[in-house]
Amino acid sequence: MNMHAAACARNHRLNVILDPDWAWSEFQSTPETTWNIRTAAHLFRRAGFGATQHELTVAVAKTPAAVVDELLTGPELETFQLEMKSLSHAALATGNVKQLSAWWVYRMLSTPMQLLEKTTLFWHGHFATSAEKVADGRLMLTQNELLRAFAFGDFSKLLLAISRDPAMLVYLDSVTNRKSHPNENYAREIMELFCLGEGNYSETDIRELARCFTGWEIRRDEFRFNRYQHDEGEKTILAQTGNFGGEDGVRIVLAQDAAPEFIASKLVRYFVMDEPSPTAALIAPLAKELRNSGMLIQPVLRRIFTSNLFYSPHAVGRKVRSPVELAVGLLRSLEGSTNTFDLAEEMLTLGQGLLYPPSVKGWDGGRTWINSSTLLGRSNLVRTLITNDKTRFGKTTLKQYLATQKVTNPRMVIDYLETVLFAVPIPEAAKAQVEALMKSGNDGSLIEGLHALCTIPEFQLG
Amino acid sequence: MSHFSRRNFLRSSAAGSAVLTFGGLAPSALQAAAEQSKSERILVVIELQGGNDGLNTVIPVGDETYRKLRSKLAIAKNDSLEISDGLAFHSSLRGFADLLEAGRLAVIQGVGYPDPNRSHFESMDIWHTCQRKDENRTDGWLGRLLEQTPDAGVGDPSALHLGHDKQPFAFMSRKVRVPSIRSLEQFHLQGTEDAQFRQAVQELTDARRGDSNDLLNFVQSSTSSAISASERLSSSVKSYSSSVTYPQNGLGEQLQTVAKLISSGLKTSVYYVTLNGFDTHSQQPDAHAGLLRQLGDSVKAFLEDIDQLKHSDRVALMCFSEFGRRVEENASAGTDHGTAGPMFMAGAMVKPGLFGELPSLSNLQDGDLRHHTDFRQVYAAVIQNWFQCEAEPILKGQYNAVDLFATMDKQ
Repeated sequence: MNMHAAACARNHRLNVILDPDWAWSEFQSTPETTWNIRTAAHLFRRAGFGATQHELTVAVAKTPAAVVDELLTGPELETFQLEMKSLSHAALATGNVKQLSAWWVYRMLSTPMQLLEKTTLFWHGHFATSAEKVADGRLMLTQNELLRAFAFGDFSKLLLAISRDPAMLVYLDSVTNRKSHPNENYAREIMELFCLGEGNYSETDIRELARCFTGWEIRRDEFRFNRYQHDEGEKTILAQTGNFGGEDGVRIVLAQDAAPEFIASKLVRYFVMDEPSPTAALIAPLAKELRNSGMLIQPVLRRIFTSNLFYSPHAVGRKVRSPVELAVGLLRSLEGSTNTFDLAEEMLTLGQGLLYPPSVKGWDGGRTWINSSTLLGRSNLVRTLITNDKTRFGKTTLKQYLATQKVTNPRMVIDYLETVLFAVPIPEAAKAQVEALMKSGNDGSLIEGLHALCTIPEFQLG
Repeated sequence: MSHFSRRNFLRSSAAGSAVLTFGGLAPSALQAAAEQSKSERILVVIELQGGNDGLNTVIPVGDETYRKLRSKLAIAKNDSLEISDGLAFHSSLRGFADLLEAGRLAVIQGVGYPDPNRSHFESMDIWHTCQRKDENRTDGWLGRLLEQTPDAGVGDPSALHLGHDKQPFAFMSRKVRVPSIRSLEQFHLQGTEDAQFRQAVQELTDARRGDSNDLLNFVQSSTSSAISASERLSSSVKSYSSSVTYPQNGLGEQLQTVAKLISSGLKTSVYYVTLNGFDTHSQQPDAHAGLLRQLGDSVKAFLEDIDQLKHSDRVALMCFSEFGRRVEENASAGTDHGTAGPMFMAGAMVKPGLFGELPSLSNLQDGDLRHHTDFRQVYAAVIQNWFQCEAEPILKGQYNAVDLFATMDKQ
């Protein structure tokens, strides 16, 4: 570790401007930040939902880079994929799209490739499409499979595919697009929300881009190009002129410098820290990497999860858990399983319904997860989860599961839960208080203790 | 009050010159109270889903055309509650008739918007956003209003949606998140029946972290105030007692929840509840009567309760529906989607009476009423005169506010 990096690491508590070179260089241990069970838990919380004590112990024996590679490459076994496919079709057969949300929760709980699922959720929030409007489980599942297939892949291909995705076009009222009445909705969102961000295009660019998409339509739930409805005329988009079609439009938008910057910035906010918003200088190295790799997502994720910044105090505990992270994380860290239909409903109530994002803008995350009602709801969700008779930990009760983990007294329970569940340390005074609560000794005392721990502010951070 | 005196009363208030007093309070006392609570004013919105049949709600009982076009559904004069010459409430709307007599209800007639859309969803979206489909709607009028009103800073939600259905588009905002709560159960920390647990949790969350992590400090203060708000709520619910009997139905329960929340001291400024079922394409009479009874009785009970809880100078309640229904009845003893209809504003600070005329039944447009008051004129009254905010950016245009709220000028 050079002197400069040491200075940066030391100065993290001061509001210093982060050095991008240091931030994205490969993680070097410092006296404050070493690769141990807590940093491994941080990696699993962010690059997934959470890990058990055993998984963490195994991970600590490897290098962070090796663990990240495993998270990025999996693979999912074919038997797992076949099981998921058959379960998704069973969910569709019920005719209730909420069963598909439940299926996705189940997939998150059981997948061996947590990062793939976490990244699929990222794209779902990015290309937000709600079943509330689409009202067709088959289209929602097709889109979900698309997001998963391209999650780590070439963003250019994902963007083109999503621009022709029936669920997306239904959601954005863009199933017909006639040359006499070009629909500006998709043209606007692809620039504002999917690629560039506000301020990087003009209203004229939107109108011209909309002309490129004329003739793109959905018939019988499939994309098709209707050349009779395509505007063959010359268009000028973002300072380029030609007889562009939709593919050209997508290509031109994506060629803007703002595109890799916008995507890299969203990835950093999703995987690294809620606040402060990353500066352009901090994002630049990632944006460059994204562009140089031909918009491949996987190398950027690898860079993020093996970086100094990711393991630094700027990142650890600097995110508010989303409802999905909170619930799926709690269960995965304790080998939990539950009624996923009920859980999906609870998540919807807390503001994160899978397949039901609140708007085309997706979930804002960060502090917006938190208000009086959601905080009480999050706490109640924990109690509901741990007292639900469908919930199992390691296929048994929580008490027995902890016994198999050789965790036998209140203090050990607290320390165990702190390791697997908490991104920031539990204050000593709080531990003492929860310990006293658990010593009342009755059957419910473990539930009281776990519930109290999951109600304290520290638990809301991921 | 007899029908005769009710008419006199309406005439005097419609003239707009009368100084209105309520509950024996002198205007100056009202003014002081209003000044103090100006920043804490509350709007309760009731959305009537499905398209309420305005013509059988505020009924032109004296109109020949009405009887002719509604041979099965027309309501007889002697089966209605007279408002003024030729105009009457549906007999199930006893609650509204009583509120009008008590000087606590404004009926705004003929409300709609240009080039009316007859799709439930599209029309509802227009009411919620004040924008048309081709205008890239991303937020709602209440969302934009909440962005303008300062955060009370105590962690209470600035608005609440009560109910099971999806969150109203009206609340959509890029900055403000509005929680939906299904019931008070949800606004209660489970496990706190146990005193030891409650005390432990309260102490665990109240302790300041003094940490360098701003997010943690934010979550700590939010959790602390959430728990105190729920405590406030449950203690006020405990102390909440009311001689008012709410009707045993969904809307009554929801409005009672709103009353409890208001009395608990929550800083929430907008509450939103929904009453569904107004899409009466067939067999309208019984269904419509039931809905109107539910509406009138619940709102009346709610306002009585708010009076007793001494919050009446803070609360205004607004009812709207996405459209009225076709003037001519259909073949199934029902009515199809129409256009203009009445809106209602209720509360102690509301100027009571009739606003605007019933649109002509003989000068129709495609079989539907022509609106004369834009719904945004009613919103403008809420934004400017009730919440003292700037209406134009919220409504995305300039609309003259209907003069719905009592001014506090000393006279």
